[in-house]
Amino acid sequence: MPINPEAWKVGLDHYLYLSSLLFIFGMLGVLMRRNVIVILMCIELMLNAVNISFIAFSRYAESTNGQVMVFFVMTIAAAEAAVGLALAVTVFKKFKEVNIRFFEHLKG
Amino acid sequence: MLSSADFLFYFLGLVSLVFGLGVVLFRNPIYSALCLVITMISVAGIFGTLDAWFIAGVQLIVYAGAVTVLFVMVLMLFDLKHEMKTFSKGVIGNGVKLAASGVLLGMLGTYIWATYATEPTFKPLPAAATSSIKATKDLATSLFTTYIFSFEVIGILLLVIAVGAVTLSRITGGTHHAD
Repeated sequence: MPINPEAWKVGLDHYLYLSSLLFIFGMLGVLMRRNVIVILMCIELMLNAVNISFIAFSRYAESTNGQVMVFFVMTIAAAEAAVGLALAVTVFKKFKEVNIRFFEHLKG
Repeated sequence: MLSSADFLFYFLGLVSLVFGLGVVLFRNPIYSALCLVITMISVAGIFGTLDAWFIAGVQLIVYAGAVTVLFVMVLMLFDLKHEMKTFSKGVIGNGVKLAASGVLLGMLGTYIWATYATEPTFKPLPAAATSSIKATKDLATSLFTTYIFSFEVIGILLLVIAVGAVTLSRITGGTHHAD
């Protein structure tokens, strides 16, 4: 396939490729890491990837509705980080470690 | 010919991808948190290249500021030097996870390529809309008229979250013991 210089001009598809790559990185982290705090960080990474595609579509459609959605996603992400870290602190107080396998002892 | 905006996108995208991979791969959680800061900052720059200046500012303040400080503070609270089992074990399990991620990436990439690769680049915004004051005013208008109910619900949710986080951190008892 010959390299088309027009394909390097940045458009909507480039932003979507970047967004899906970042999302996959975050997903790999959530699946493969054992540290709860790093898992929360990777969830933030995935939310950021989704925000990129929201903003790209909002710019593409020339509407501000996507930006409002990003505003809400950011609020939810901050709240989720607060609760997740509070849970991690609770688990750490009990088991002196934040490995994800200790979360299965939380029942009851 | 590539414009300077295109170069800016490629630079910021490369930085965010490299440091996003760093978040996943570094064994020390503090390095992951620092990589996360750089990723957030470059994502804010990407929002800037899309003319979403207010969202770029909020990204810098909320993510690169508040959320990451929260992460680093909790990491300092724990002493995780002895953390050894960084990644999950099992060749088959990890292979399935990698394969699933690869399949999802392939599906997303093919879909984007088939649907949006022929789209033209972004149309330049009308001169009035490129002014950041006008864009922010539009955003605020739609936030406080069309989306006012969601906005209020988010406020209540934040209150509930604050109470819940305080309650969680006050829990001392429980039915299980570490030993």
